[in-house]
Amino acid sequence: MNRPRAEHEPGYVLHTYPYRETSLIVEAFTRRHGRTALIAKGARRPRSALRGVLLSFQPLRLSWSGGGEMRILVGADWQGAASLLRGAGLMCGFYLNELLLRLLPREDAHEALYDDYCEGLSRLAQGSLPTSTVLRMFERRLLAGLGYALQFDRDAADGAPIRPEGSYLYEPERGPVAANGAGGEMVVSGRTLLDMQADDYRRPETQAESRALMRALIGLRLHGQTLHTRAVLLELQEM
Amino acid sequence: MAAKDTVPSATGLERLVEALRVLPGVGPRSAQRMAYHLLQRDRGGAGQLAQALASALAGVHHCTRCNNFTEEEVCALCRSPRRDPSLLCVVETPADLAMVEQTLSYSGMYFVLLGRLSPLDGVGPRDIGLDRLLARAADGQVEEVILATNFTNEGEATAHYIAEMLRARGIRASRIARGVPLGGELEYVDAGTLSQALIERRAL
Ligand SMILES: [Zn+2]
Repeated sequence: MNRPRAEHEPGYVLHTYPYRETSLIVEAFTRRHGRTALIAKGARRPRSALRGVLLSFQPLRLSWSGGGEMRILVGADWQGAASLLRGAGLMCGFYLNELLLRLLPREDAHEALYDDYCEGLSRLAQGSLPTSTVLRMFERRLLAGLGYALQFDRDAADGAPIRPEGSYLYEPERGPVAANGAGGEMVVSGRTLLDMQADDYRRPETQAESRALMRALIGLRLHGQTLHTRAVLLELQEM
Repeated sequence: MAAKDTVPSATGLERLVEALRVLPGVGPRSAQRMAYHLLQRDRGGAGQLAQALASALAGVHHCTRCNNFTEEEVCALCRSPRRDPSLLCVVETPADLAMVEQTLSYSGMYFVLLGRLSPLDGVGPRDIGLDRLLARAADGQVEEVILATNFTNEGEATAHYIAEMLRARGIRASRIARGVPLGGELEYVDAGTLSQALIERRAL
């Protein structure tokens, strides 16, 4: 073993995939080791104690041995406390997990983002903030964690403060500049930019514009891949 | 003339070993053991297995009303006059249906999803026939739909969205309860189950 075993690391299960006859590959998001893949041997056996534990959205303590690509899960303890997601909150949770699975490279610690994720899940569970607010806040923090920090309060061309009544084109590598008649998802009002800067998503226009803008900005990082959770949600809404 | 150096084609024995490996939990070694057993010790049983498999493949398909396995267009349970047509129980798999039947405490009808919503795997509502379920539940006889999907996040999400769609169509939906198993001693129950049992406690 080229790496000492990790013990009782705080983490969450993002997703699991069947592996061999009775095992699982667990895609975990841990606080100190970032996104990491663990093999849970025998976790699909009917009486496996891991069955009720290796579920998404609940805080766990994970222990594993081995390094590199073949880490073996040797323990998973339920940490309780947090209330579970239910109803539409579950779909938001799946969306957060898919963002992390698609965008976060493996073995890269993101402690601040991990804390944002915990906070996002607990807000979704408690309903203390509207779901759209929780999602937009997390999307912004995720992009910042990946090195694409967004700024919403200054015109990127001249550094002037954003005017609420202005119309701006968000240039992904720079920031907002005067729209000058441009259109599309990347064009938003100054009011929306200032609301996003303040994490204030109460205005319906801010909700709609910020949703389209973040979707476009995240779309750039996905290089054209579509998100499964978004497609499934769309299909559900059409039924 | 050069000697033939083609790889010899797989023998019947090798093909049998390979075929047995489609079974869940059967690796190369147990497949080989099974093949030897069938050919060496139980050729009669092997013949029966081959026939049963061929006739099941040819004759067994999904019931057009409930999706469970049947050899008819509509299965015996769906046609039974003794079942209560006002209750419709939704389960993920035929094995789940068999478990609910074993309880002997349910006399309504079923709908088998043959899966669950799994957004991260790209499994959406049409993949599990939710359009057909909605049509089935709107037959005018169903008064309550009991959601007996698994207590996983995927099973919970599936139950939630089905309930929403049914509510929008004026059909009552309920979810099976969960908690400490019958005869379960708290000391040995896992923390997650006990936590849910506390959250979903009821007045006495
Ligand atoms: Zn049937």
